[in-house]
Amino acid sequence: MRKLANFVLGFILLVLVVWQFPWVINFLSTPDSHSTFALYSTAADDFISNKMDENKKLHRIGTDGKEYTEAETDSLLPCFYMRQLVADGRFPDSIQGEAITPHEVQQTNVMIRLNPRDINGNNIQLYPLLESMPKRVDLEMPDDVFRITSKGVEFIKMETNEVKQAKSERFTEALREKGFQFPSLWISGDPSVRKAYDEGYLMLDAKHQLFHFKRCVGRPFVRTFAVPDSIILTHVFAIEPSAHQFRGLAVDTENRLYVLTPDYQLVLTGVKQFQPKTDRLMIIGNKFDWTVTIVDAHGVHYSALDASDYHLIRQMDISFENSSISGLHFTSRDDKFCYPRF
Amino acid sequence: MYYKEWIKTRWYLLLMFLITSGFAGYSLLRLHRVAALNGIDHAWIVMLTHDVVFVDLLKFVPLVAGLLLALVQFVPEMYHKCLKLTLHLPVSHLTVITQMLGFGVVAFITCSILNFLLLWSYMHHVLAFELWSRCLLTALPWYLGGLAAYLLGAWTILEPAWGRRVFNLLVSLLVMKIYFISDAPASYNSFLPALSVFTLALLTLSWISVARFKEGKE
Repeated sequence: MRKLANFVLGFILLVLVVWQFPWVINFLSTPDSHSTFALYSTAADDFISNKMDENKKLHRIGTDGKEYTEAETDSLLPCFYMRQLVADGRFPDSIQGEAITPHEVQQTNVMIRLNPRDINGNNIQLYPLLESMPKRVDLEMPDDVFRITSKGVEFIKMETNEVKQAKSERFTEALREKGFQFPSLWISGDPSVRKAYDEGYLMLDAKHQLFHFKRCVGRPFVRTFAVPDSIILTHVFAIEPSAHQFRGLAVDTENRLYVLTPDYQLVLTGVKQFQPKTDRLMIIGNKFDWTVTIVDAHGVHYSALDASDYHLIRQMDISFENSSISGLHFTSRDDKFCYPRF
Repeated sequence: MYYKEWIKTRWYLLLMFLITSGFAGYSLLRLHRVAALNGIDHAWIVMLTHDVVFVDLLKFVPLVAGLLLALVQFVPEMYHKCLKLTLHLPVSHLTVITQMLGFGVVAFITCSILNFLLLWSYMHHVLAFELWSRCLLTALPWYLGGLAAYLLGAWTILEPAWGRRVFNLLVSLLVMKIYFISDAPASYNSFLPALSVFTLALLTLSWISVARFKEGKE
């Protein structure tokens, strides 16, 4: 018995050393600043990166090393620095030969962030289905939430904690009619009332088919996306941009990134690789171009896309070496799980 | 042996049950207050959209309860030299300490089960399975942490030498960190089976302390 106790103590000490020693070393060492903020400028046809020097002074530098002043950067990125240009009275009448107003810029600007931590977690599989065409202007939370089971949709009335049989059957039938195979593999939506409009949820069914599911005047609305058989989608992200330019993003088994258009088509983007479970993605876009920043374990990958058809205009990669000592750890910034891993 | 432990700890066990149940009850009261003020719909929505679990008040309660149980059960043994007498019984000293710890473990687990039953009895009426199970699974590592605090506390208190006692205390503090390292609700779910086995394995550490005590280490 004493041997067993000694073994347990030895195991605990080993775990503590492998866990705490690298942690202390990494904590004491100064972390490298990995990500550089960069945006693609259509006017300069180049990425402009913000870099801080040793004296904490900000420099705006192109890929060829050319340095831009603050005012020049504002003019080269008129959609991003629109408010500053308007305040200075320098906002142009047209961009790329197209007449544009600050209001239009505000409407068409896009800001999307996807963090692996948002999908790697024990998220609650209950979803409020808002009324997408409310009588009043403001959106309202419904009095029920739904879950998707292997048999269909179940709406649960929150006040009584009971399943609404009639509504559940009606919505289940609507999904079945469109060919939805239960259960769902993936559900994405933004059940918030603090937004301009609601487009319900994007759902992948058991056969990886993509559906749009929402509630219109109390009735179910279901539409399928035209996904070619050769594409097997694994992740879908519902996004509700101000100008309704697109419905969201999707990723397939080959880690290719697609934009979901308002007419239920998939458009392949020029982004090389995006793995939602491990990579961080940020898209800062406007009416003319999108800058897609993907941070993975090896570096930061910037892709400039044409906002009209999402083809690749230009690419920039900055690699970094991970200088931290690997060891046992229980949590990760990429997920919300707690378990031992190396 | 079990009767002796019962006589020694019964008032504390009653107090532990009342206080932990009080905190569990207060957590339910918070949920009930939200439901009374804004409707139970609001409680569901904040749980869904803001990851609220309503049981976060319980986080360190089992830890303190487990630690106090170890103090109540084993400090008198050491202070009044009772352990020396106990170890002279015609039974293996490791069997004796295992029985003493077994009593404490069963008492703590019983108290935890009663706390969980109290939480479940109200929550399952007003919340969907996905919500109440998330609350209980969030609290489970904290209760395992309480059990670990009891076993590590016993290991440290039963240690006869002060220098080694400090070492035990440092190791215990680091081990306890495992149970509180993540704040995300239900984040321990996949780790719970292994963590439970690990927690129960901590019982064996007291065998080292008692063996050293028996050897006359000081």
